[in-house]
Amino acid sequence: MSIKLNHVSYTYSPKTPFEYEALRDVSLEIKDRSFLALIGETGSGKSTLVQHLNGLILPTEGEVQISHYLLSCENGQRKYVDLDRREEFKDKKYRKKQFNIRNLRKYAGLVFQFPEYQLFEESVLKDVSFGPKNFGATDEEAEQMAKDALKLVGLDDSYLPRSPFELSGGEKRRVAIAGIIALNPSVLILDEPTAGLDPQGEKEMMELFKKINDAGKSVILVTHNMEIVLKYVDEVVVMHDGKLLKQTTPLKLFQDEKFLTTTAIEPPFVFKAAKALIKNGLNLDLNNVKDIPSLVQEIKRIKHE
Amino acid sequence: MKEKIAVELKNIVFGYLKDTVNIDDVSFSVKQGDYVTLIGHNGSGKSTIARLITGLLLQRSGDIEIFGEVMTDDNVLRLRKDIGIIFQNPDNQFIGSSVRDDIAFGLENDCVPEDKMEGIVEEYSKKVGMYKFLDKEPTNLSGGQKQRVAIAGTLARHPKILIMDESTSMLDPKGKREILQLIHQLKRENPELTIISITHDIQEAYESDHVIVVAKGKKILDGKPDEVFSDSKKMVEIKLDIPFFKRLNMELEDNGLEKYEANSLDGLVEKLCR
Amino acid sequence: MNNIALGRYIPGNSFLHKMDARIKIISLIIFFVGIFLSYGSAAQNFIMYGVYFVILFSLLKVARLSFFNVLKSLKALWIMMLFLLVINTFAVQTGEVAFIINDFVVYWDGLVRTGYIIVRLILMITLTTLLTSTSKPLDLTFGLEWLLGPLKLLHVPVHIFAMTISLALRFIPTLMEEANKIIRAQASRGVDFAEGKLKDKFKAIISLIIPLFVSSFLRSGELADAMETRGYDPQGTRTKYRRKHWKMKETVQIIGCGCLLAGIVLLAVYKPDFISAVKGWF
Repeated sequence: MSIKLNHVSYTYSPKTPFEYEALRDVSLEIKDRSFLALIGETGSGKSTLVQHLNGLILPTEGEVQISHYLLSCENGQRKYVDLDRREEFKDKKYRKKQFNIRNLRKYAGLVFQFPEYQLFEESVLKDVSFGPKNFGATDEEAEQMAKDALKLVGLDDSYLPRSPFELSGGEKRRVAIAGIIALNPSVLILDEPTAGLDPQGEKEMMELFKKINDAGKSVILVTHNMEIVLKYVDEVVVMHDGKLLKQTTPLKLFQDEKFLTTTAIEPPFVFKAAKALIKNGLNLDLNNVKDIPSLVQEIKRIKHE
Repeated sequence: MKEKIAVELKNIVFGYLKDTVNIDDVSFSVKQGDYVTLIGHNGSGKSTIARLITGLLLQRSGDIEIFGEVMTDDNVLRLRKDIGIIFQNPDNQFIGSSVRDDIAFGLENDCVPEDKMEGIVEEYSKKVGMYKFLDKEPTNLSGGQKQRVAIAGTLARHPKILIMDESTSMLDPKGKREILQLIHQLKRENPELTIISITHDIQEAYESDHVIVVAKGKKILDGKPDEVFSDSKKMVEIKLDIPFFKRLNMELEDNGLEKYEANSLDGLVEKLCR
Repeated sequence: MNNIALGRYIPGNSFLHKMDARIKIISLIIFFVGIFLSYGSAAQNFIMYGVYFVILFSLLKVARLSFFNVLKSLKALWIMMLFLLVINTFAVQTGEVAFIINDFVVYWDGLVRTGYIIVRLILMITLTTLLTSTSKPLDLTFGLEWLLGPLKLLHVPVHIFAMTISLALRFIPTLMEEANKIIRAQASRGVDFAEGKLKDKFKAIISLIIPLFVSSFLRSGELADAMETRGYDPQGTRTKYRRKHWKMKETVQIIGCGCLLAGIVLLAVYKPDFISAVKGWF
């Protein structure tokens, strides 16, 4: 299951004094099992882009393909095609009956920043089962999916009957993320999932995402944290002013000094340290430097040769 | 010259509920003019301590002294005039309907004469770089801008102590940098101002005058950054981040490479590459 | 957001926009008094209402507002007005006969009464829209606070009401953004706010209302802390940053209002027969 954006543009409030072009001609493919970071400063279009991936927003120009659904907009004309059934839903009324936009939302699970605010049910179990139930699961199925998701995020059965409102901030966040994982999406998209967590919490959360990615799902992280980018992800997409500037690996990104200066991206300090050592003659392999422990391992390797 | 103690906590015990203890016998003192950082994992009690110092919460036992005066029900309103606090959420402390109105809010409360208010509002908006935004509404401002307005409104009341309760936690990196730069600038311009910053930013703590570490409601460490961060293992134990070079040195030591330990990039290059 | 059309502040530079909110509110009250007084016979009353319409129309033009937009927003009321007409024609069975339909007698009084209600309603709504479209909500709050000032002598906490209202106004956009965020988060969990059975729609609304309530309570707690630490004392005295200046212009305008009131009251008391007077000219 892949998600493709083809020359997508999005304008907020078109034809009004508040018109704002948030995305300009963005093309991107999220392949299976990717672990991708989406970076860019506030206002670069990251959150608008991410909301196209689960069909929350539909493009004002261009095409989005989510699994076997193709949505396009050309000259203001919207088209919805189910590629499997080769059916096209052109008429708006007909479209509403046959093609539920909600179908798109289960392929990509989107977790917004500070997702704790979406909790509302009486118990953790009920809240996490809410999502699966909305997509047609029976009560039993939904509960099982909820329990599995909660186990995955590290919350045992003792949490099931508790009210989400009495949990700590970190626990609430995990419940909220479990609520999306329970939908069993093929792609998990998270906007700054470690914001506000302490270092231990951040580490646990990232290990969770790594586990999910290893198990076969694609994971997309919107983040400002370059240490996370260097340590965990395979690909980086850089957004700026509504445009997709670059899609590359973390290593290639951090080595492109000219690009870094124009976009004011700071590589993590461990990378800068490794570069300084290499510049002064130490023959480290940057591919092996992901964090401090791996840097030290590299130093050890070189010094023992 | 004897240095004045701006804030002193003496054996403070506090609990949100009758049978819980969230602050367990905490004592420390803050010298006037110091930049103090208070660090600890989430839930360690840092924000609770900030609220106790400003008198928003009442301790179960122990004393809080502001410039030598013990805080009581009778003097809390007066003592509070010397304490300014900037909270974490930029929206939930923006009271006025525009930047002007928000900065003026504190002045109105202090019964500043009406004809003087305009001048003060403009002066402090300039100090934080928000002069051009005086008539903007909060929905049109970024988090960093809103925090700058909060700082202006608080400073306009001339507090002697400024508490920053995780004021940059909800900001993006750009916003964080803005605020930290502003605070350092203000410190330079007002050497007598005492700043207590509750933060997760280990670099900020490393560069402060005095670090207090709390964990699970107790004070664990208290002293100059070098002393406090020297025990890296302890920091890891209480789930705190440690400055880069301390982390690096700890890792080098664990791998039998102590001879390469350094405290700066140049030092590291020196030891490894020559 | 754009559906709260009627009464929303529309920025502008007209004479009405620049007028002090207090004077606008006072004028509104004077006009309301004028609408409910009687000037003699039904015909005389309707002539006065005609005069009021002409005044309102010109004021709308001055403020660059469209009367048609106001009428459009009154669409919802047409049904009620029709209903009123029917009730009144049945209820009033005395006085002069207007006309007869199929053996059913319609009396003038019934029609006149309905006429009064409808015309007064339109006048009042148009006047209020004129006020709210040309005055910023915050100015109206300050205006109301000033006008209700005397109530402070009766220990009515007018300044607390005013603070509450201005805080509410400040947070409306913030709350709408928050609601928007919650809607998107729940939509990502499969909630469909538009379609679905009644039970599903109910659940959908709960998934919006509860988080909104919870976050609003937390927010108000934090706001209270912030206000307290900035020295706010609801019982204490405070100075006011936004002073409203009372200059010559305001004095002139308030005298004008006084004359207006005097004129209306005199007309109502003496009920001059201007119909005969006009007929007399010809």
